[in-house]
Amino acid sequence: MAEAVWEVGGEEAVPIRAAAEVVRNVSEGPSSWRLILRVPGWPGFRPGQFAMLSAGAQQAARRTDPLLPRPMAVYRANTGSGWSDVEILYKRVGRGTALLAAALPGQLVAIVGPLGKAFPPPRPGERVTIVAGGTGIASVYELAARLAGSHPVEVLFGARTVGDLMAVEDFEALEIPLRVATEDGSAGVRGVVTDLLESALEGPTAGADLPGSGRRVYVCGPTAMMRRCAEIASRREVSCIAALETTMACGFGVCLGCATPLQEGGYSLVCRDGPAFDAASIDWERLP
Amino acid sequence: MKESQGVDTAVDLGGISLRNPVLTASGTFGYGTEFAPFLDLRRLGGFVAKSLTLEPRIGNPPPRIAEAPSGMLNAISLENVGVEAFIGEKLPAIPEGVTVIASVFETDIDRYAEVCKRLTGVPRIAGLEVNASCPHVKSGGIEFGQDPAVLGRLVRTVRRATTLPLLVKLSPNVTHIAEMARVCEAEGASGISLINAVQALEVDPETRRPLLANGLGGLSGPAIRPIALRMVWQASQAVSIPICGVGGIENAADAVKFLLCGATAVQVGTSNYLQPSIAGDVADGIVEYAVRHGCPRIRDLVGALEFPGR
Repeated sequence: MAEAVWEVGGEEAVPIRAAAEVVRNVSEGPSSWRLILRVPGWPGFRPGQFAMLSAGAQQAARRTDPLLPRPMAVYRANTGSGWSDVEILYKRVGRGTALLAAALPGQLVAIVGPLGKAFPPPRPGERVTIVAGGTGIASVYELAARLAGSHPVEVLFGARTVGDLMAVEDFEALEIPLRVATEDGSAGVRGVVTDLLESALEGPTAGADLPGSGRRVYVCGPTAMMRRCAEIASRREVSCIAALETTMACGFGVCLGCATPLQEGGYSLVCRDGPAFDAASIDWERLP
Repeated sequence: MKESQGVDTAVDLGGISLRNPVLTASGTFGYGTEFAPFLDLRRLGGFVAKSLTLEPRIGNPPPRIAEAPSGMLNAISLENVGVEAFIGEKLPAIPEGVTVIASVFETDIDRYAEVCKRLTGVPRIAGLEVNASCPHVKSGGIEFGQDPAVLGRLVRTVRRATTLPLLVKLSPNVTHIAEMARVCEAEGASGISLINAVQALEVDPETRRPLLANGLGGLSGPAIRPIALRMVWQASQAVSIPICGVGGIENAADAVKFLLCGATAVQVGTSNYLQPSIAGDVADGIVEYAVRHGCPRIRDLVGALEFPGR
């Protein structure tokens, strides 16, 4: 399972647009779905990248309502000779994802990807804490999988209730520590995941900037959760990387719809400059 | 003569020679290079770059976009790199052999003229498109293209500021589009592009607030296509300068509709976001249509609509 840690700042693969055949599309809980797409010409991806998906690509006239494709984290990919099965975990929350959930094996889904930049990798020896909630869980699986062999990694999941969790078995199979907090206590400890992060970061953090003794937090989930994680990490002078989720029309830097406000003023684009950002660079106050 | 499958695809858009009638709309195609992974830009007649202002603009706070039935609203506020960075950095990155039309936007007429001057004489720029859908600060925020007198002054001033072919992109937020088209023709515009996004509002009933941080936005996409076809047809009845049809084009059949309604060329807009290679497919599809209809020259389709009673 342990693959090499990806290069710092390396070039991302050139994205493709393809009509991908649904291999599998199954419900895995009250609203969670697992989609496997056979994507011709898939160039591979790095942890943190995403793809734009639209269901209904098999129709002669493209469906126009809902109009926009949906940005989805690439969960993982399994590559054979000349094909790749790209796996997407998603939640059925609105009309776009309802259409996706209705896509049957053999039908086509339009995919554009991989898009965005990879997570910046941790420095050698850094201890990594990954915090995820909601569909943010899908954004961090590949990160956890790639780091599992090379870094001390711990994963923290937060959810309102057990049914909101996704992919717990997949993370357990990585054989890295996984702790869960649910607000109703239906899985793991009763409470919020940010409290788990507080306790995970307890202890000496002096020398955090020195290679081999530092720590790093990665977080993806609801804005309020990410903001709180950013505050906790900042207080302990731990580097925190937040992967943002937002609406976008294109995914490759043209519609300018996914502008995210920066502390220094101005905006970055989630699709082109992210989705992962140094959490300290985000102006959380102005983020809707 | 540009030929494909024996069909002459070349059109003349007010002095801009295009190898085929398919352009991409300003604001939906970035500075061109963003589409390199998906589309050989030389399959297009050309593209209209993102609107430029004298200084760079950072744009509106989020949320900037929202979905609407068969369309989307945006309020980006014309975020752009500014005219100098476009000339110095963006233009050289566009592959040779691609026709580039620069789009110009400003908040007062003199600044429009200044941007036009700056772009004139720059190699690679085949023409200008002046975006007349911007709020005119001195008129209390009304769009330049909503007042015939203000529009007339704008076109007259920018016409004097440049020797390049000059397209004026009209606002659809008017009662009489034909009158606005006539003003452009009278003041020396080489052609007109229409329509820009339709002013719109979408609301979240739970929060009782608009979906966009800006409040109002511009509606684009297939939802506005019949409005655009109507306005192109009305404008084409009123003026003899060429028209570039814009609004909700998703495929070649849609593009042909605009040609039939009197457009000499078309621009693909919102669909570029969803299907980043679509503009090339539209160009190919128009040729297939022409072959199927025994039409040797694409330009013979322009205005061929058989409208009842005409």
